[in-house]
Amino acid sequence: MVWKDRYIFWKIVTCYIAIALCTELFAIYLASHHQHNLWLFNIFLIFESSTILYGLYYCLQEYTNPKPIFFIGSGTVCLTYFYFLVTQPFSESNTLTISVMSIVFTLYCLYYYYLLLKDENFINIKIHPQFWWVTGVLFYYFGSTMSNIFDGMFTIKIIGIATLRYCIYVLLNLILYSLWVYSFICRMKQRKLQS
Amino acid sequence: MGIFVYMQNETTKIAVLVAISTLVFLLMPVFLILYIRSYNRHKKNHFLEKQNMRQRFESEILQTRIEVQDQTMQSIATELHDNVGQLLSLTTLTLNSVNLNDAAKAKKKIENSLSLVNKSIKELRELAKLLHGEQLVENGIGHAIDQEINWLGKAGTYELQTNNKLLESEIVSPDKDLIILRLLQEIINNIIKHAHATHIEIDSYLENNALYLKVSENGIGFNTEEVKAKKSGMGLNSIYKRIEMINGKLALNSEPGKGTSIAIEIPYP
Repeated sequence: MVWKDRYIFWKIVTCYIAIALCTELFAIYLASHHQHNLWLFNIFLIFESSTILYGLYYCLQEYTNPKPIFFIGSGTVCLTYFYFLVTQPFSESNTLTISVMSIVFTLYCLYYYYLLLKDENFINIKIHPQFWWVTGVLFYYFGSTMSNIFDGMFTIKIIGIATLRYCIYVLLNLILYSLWVYSFICRMKQRKLQS
Repeated sequence: MGIFVYMQNETTKIAVLVAISTLVFLLMPVFLILYIRSYNRHKKNHFLEKQNMRQRFESEILQTRIEVQDQTMQSIATELHDNVGQLLSLTTLTLNSVNLNDAAKAKKKIENSLSLVNKSIKELRELAKLLHGEQLVENGIGHAIDQEINWLGKAGTYELQTNNKLLESEIVSPDKDLIILRLLQEIINNIIKHAHATHIEIDSYLENNALYLKVSENGIGFNTEEVKAKKSGMGLNSIYKRIEMINGKLALNSEPGKGTSIAIEIPYP
């Protein structure tokens, strides 16, 4: 169904979800063999940042020309990533890039909301796919801000062997993917209405 | 041992801080969504209201167009009955009374009939112009007002004093023009029906992006407060409603025995 969508955005998001799933599975496999998997997440970070940047660009495009602010945002994320590559070994956690990325994405999401409110036309929020996609992004990246800032400073275990950080990320992922699934449902309804 | 316990306490504090702040950070988007939802609902209501208003305006324009057409048809019917009809009846009578044996008289009567027919043709041309006048709004409100004044002048009942500066203006606003023409028709109708006036003054001009239309007469006048309170008769209500629709202003001055004057100001175009 998604492959029949005329907008490339929905295909890219689907591909990204598939990549994310493969990465997680491979990371679990590596962990079960007592091998480091942080390098894998550092590679995945490239896909993650480019997909979310593209998605937000696509959503903002509806209301404004976002090119200038996207050059600044993606430039900042790239520079941070290169700084990490130069200063630290690849097998380390790239917390700096993740933190910068979270801030940039949060700002873009808020800017999207601002443009949405400023726009003269109204949208039906309940069935607007882009709105729920951006909301998912906002929840995930805004919600993970504190965990990123205090990363490594609270290795407390709350449920059995699961750390607090792990629990927070499970919750955030749950919110993110639920909202994205909902946005896909909205998109499907929208396509049915348009066809 | 003491240091280890201290560090564990600090870690627990940070963990609690992170957990609480993450919850707060997750609650903020929730409130943001609620705010957007409520704002969007207001926007939707406003949009629907605007759409409703536009529809009302369009239906009013349609109504006005029909009224202008009715008025034109009424004028044509009156003209046909009172003028052209009479002329043609007279022609028939004259032609019927022609005695071909009396060549001199017959010639005179035929000449008279011919002049009556020519007069009828002239009157019919005037009528055609009036019929065309309905479309004159498209050429500008100035021409439409001029046509209306000409028609009023032709009756010869009133002493007219007009100053129509809108003829020179090239600015048009089709919807407003139609409403303005209808307002003038309504005012003139009122004068004809109720005022018993002998002298009418009509001024129209554009100034500072506003159109001014002033009509005054020396008729019997009326008590404005009473008529306003009654909210009936003389089509005053429809005049006020239409003026309000195009954001205009109306000043009505009248006193029994002292005539009436109406001044209209409309943002234009």
